[in-house]
Amino acid sequence: MTTNIEAVVPAPADALRSRSLAALTWRRLFKQRNAIVGMAILLFLTLVAIFAPLLAPYDPVQSLLGIETLKEREAPCIHILGCPEDKPQHIMGIDANYRDVFSRIIYGTRVSLFIGFSTIGMAVVVGAVIGAVSGYLGGWVDNLIMRLMDVVLAFPSFLLAIAIITVIGRGLQNALYAIAIVNIPVFARLVRASVLSIKEQEFVSASRALGASNLRLLFVRIFPNALPMLVVQATLSIAAAILEAAALSFLGLGAQPPTPEWGTMLGSERNQVFTAPHLVFFPGLAIMLTVLAFNLLGDGVRDAMDPRLAQVAKK
Amino acid sequence: MKKMSTLFALLVAFSLVLAACGSGGTAVQDEFSALAEFEGLKLDAGSCDYGGKVLSIEAVDELTVVFTLCKPDPAFEAKIAFTPFGIQPQEHLARTGGTGELLENPIGTGPYQVAEWDRGNQIVYTRFDDYWGEAGAASTVTLRWLTEGAARLQELQAGTADYVSNLSPSDYATVQNDPNLQILYHQNPNVFYIGFTNTASPYDDVDVRRAIALGIDYQRIVDNFYPDGSEVASHFTPCAIPNGCEGESWYEFDAEAGRALLAEAGYPDGFTTRLYYRDVFRVYLPEPARVATEIQAQLQENLGITVEVVPMESGEFIAASTSGELTDGMHLLGWGADYPHVTNFMDFHFGANNPQFGNAHAEIYGPLQEASSIADVATAAPLYAEANNMVKELVPLIPVAHGAAAHAALASLQGAYYPPFGAPQFNFLDNGTDSIVFVQNAEPISLDCADETDGESLTACQQVVETLLEYGKDSGATFPELATSCESNADSTVWTCHLRDGVKFHDGSDFDADDVVASWARGLDASNPYHVGNTGSFDYYGYLWDSFMNVPAE
Repeated sequence: MTTNIEAVVPAPADALRSRSLAALTWRRLFKQRNAIVGMAILLFLTLVAIFAPLLAPYDPVQSLLGIETLKEREAPCIHILGCPEDKPQHIMGIDANYRDVFSRIIYGTRVSLFIGFSTIGMAVVVGAVIGAVSGYLGGWVDNLIMRLMDVVLAFPSFLLAIAIITVIGRGLQNALYAIAIVNIPVFARLVRASVLSIKEQEFVSASRALGASNLRLLFVRIFPNALPMLVVQATLSIAAAILEAAALSFLGLGAQPPTPEWGTMLGSERNQVFTAPHLVFFPGLAIMLTVLAFNLLGDGVRDAMDPRLAQVAKK
Repeated sequence: MKKMSTLFALLVAFSLVLAACGSGGTAVQDEFSALAEFEGLKLDAGSCDYGGKVLSIEAVDELTVVFTLCKPDPAFEAKIAFTPFGIQPQEHLARTGGTGELLENPIGTGPYQVAEWDRGNQIVYTRFDDYWGEAGAASTVTLRWLTEGAARLQELQAGTADYVSNLSPSDYATVQNDPNLQILYHQNPNVFYIGFTNTASPYDDVDVRRAIALGIDYQRIVDNFYPDGSEVASHFTPCAIPNGCEGESWYEFDAEAGRALLAEAGYPDGFTTRLYYRDVFRVYLPEPARVATEIQAQLQENLGITVEVVPMESGEFIAASTSGELTDGMHLLGWGADYPHVTNFMDFHFGANNPQFGNAHAEIYGPLQEASSIADVATAAPLYAEANNMVKELVPLIPVAHGAAAHAALASLQGAYYPPFGAPQFNFLDNGTDSIVFVQNAEPISLDCADETDGESLTACQQVVETLLEYGKDSGATFPELATSCESNADSTVWTCHLRDGVKFHDGSDFDADDVVASWARGLDASNPYHVGNTGSFDYYGYLWDSFMNVPAE
């Protein structure tokens, strides 16, 4: 078995000094083949989301009844694959309400990416603040906050999300809140652990000795050093958040019709697996690709930030 | 004097004979006593001032019940054959207090009795061996439910079900082309409608309701979301029902006129609202989610109304919609005929006491009340025309479609049928084994069908509880069930029903006239201690007989 000596042996101190941690991480990230694949898919999805109005041939919520001659749940029609030229092209077929599935999948990218970033964004901000305060203050505050987090973590996250939606009501916005809430403890614990170890380090003591305030110590000295772990966890959590949102929508608790959300599309046609497989295949494929992209990227970011961990994983 | 002494001697001798006969003699004596002392139950409103149709119901002897009506009811026989008017033993009603165990364990005289209701899973019935009629071939029948049509069909194809109700329209061809299956067409008149509750804005404005009626493309819905044989509703009641189609036809689709009317009502850019429905297959609404999404799209496109579709749990939806609680939106509901008379459609929905659409309209229920006491179809026609015209004028709801339906069974299932009214009786089905599996599209809400209105509950109850008359297998005509006959006086205000002798309940008790009065009193008399049920609404008693007796003052 060969090992990548270059990645294991730290660079000379002077060279390291000349590069920031971020630049170093980027350099390592671009050496990870999986991460590159993940980034490529994500870039593609981002472009699709941004340029959805240009890419989608139809309005994703518009019924094509009266506009074209169609059958319900019609199979894909692709001209270069032999579909008659006189028939309108629908490369992913038609759904039960006579809408173009391809257009809905494209617009669904926007919804899914928004779900991923917004839910984890909320969870990161709230969780990080809670974790940082808890870790820095310690004592009964730490105890109280962490026991609360333990209570939240004691519930399976998906069931907890369903319970929250039951209370606050169904719908995409409420689903986002629910997913964000169940993810808060993960980030709170992570940041607290980092803060606990960093606050004992000498540079923090030095700042304190020089008269830095608690707020400055926490958010200028300590917190930035906890960021790398947060970024890794956030990247991995986005994939899980997208899956959770799709599952909630599948159950009818998340996005509501006519929102072109992949989980909703999958759920509304789940009984057509044999009669109209294209209606479940394409939304399923889209969810799989997006989650795969975030997982590959998350793994890559983690390995780039902690090369020793990557080597352990490879061995 | 000699005659007197002879008579005295005869009486003494007769008494001695009775005494000597032991138990046999006692039985005869008891019978004499019973005949002489029978004091049957009587439900008596005292007068007709309470607004209902029933003046009194009296058990005049053990096997005779007399219904005295306040006014003639042309649909009397058709109504009493309906499952909610099933008979249970008065002792069982008293023991359960009219609720609790009664909701899951009805005791009737039917061919099957409930062995177990595994909530969320299935109901298991066992054959009632003392049944007075044609005994079931299978000793056990399992009633299960699956919401999705495709899943029900898969059960049938896999042979794990013998009979499935409510085929999805897309599955008709599959069943027709499969030699192992048989398709059973259902001729039940029905209507799918969009309901409003007129007590809150914007639906308190008739122009808004009319605008929505104009802004829906009915033909597009029927052509694309209903199976062949379905049709756009020209009236609320299907034309197959006599007097159903009297009066003007419903609005034609005219989006421009709808937008203009909406602008006049103060909503030139539409408004935001909700559309409630339950995602349960119904003959009148085969694919609720698809149709809800289509109506959502049409209202946005044609009238600029932004609609949030809100699926609800079936029981919760029925309770909320029929009690008029869904004031912040419209609701999708429908109606399948229970008995073959226009009163079943019109009187139930537009009666003075129905809160579903908010404040009832006297312009509609006035002619209906007048018509409901006229037996002759032609004589009543102008009144139904007036009522239908006022429905169109006031738009308490929007009739959309009359759906066609079909069910499916294994080809090997003998006796498979689906009657136009009510549900198939399990005792007529025979698959050659000792067990039958029937799969319907939703779980019953409760088995106290005096207090339920959904078809799934009524199907489950119909196997257990029987009524005085029953509907035919292939028509809405009535036939004797627990009553061997019901005869009326000349003006159809007094109906005398002669009960079947020797009928036993599942608990072993004998069926008699007091059970009939007790069962009816429980539903009809609001002050009856057993007028509790599942929700306590006893909808069919209130609507079909115009009002409850002894309603407490508010």
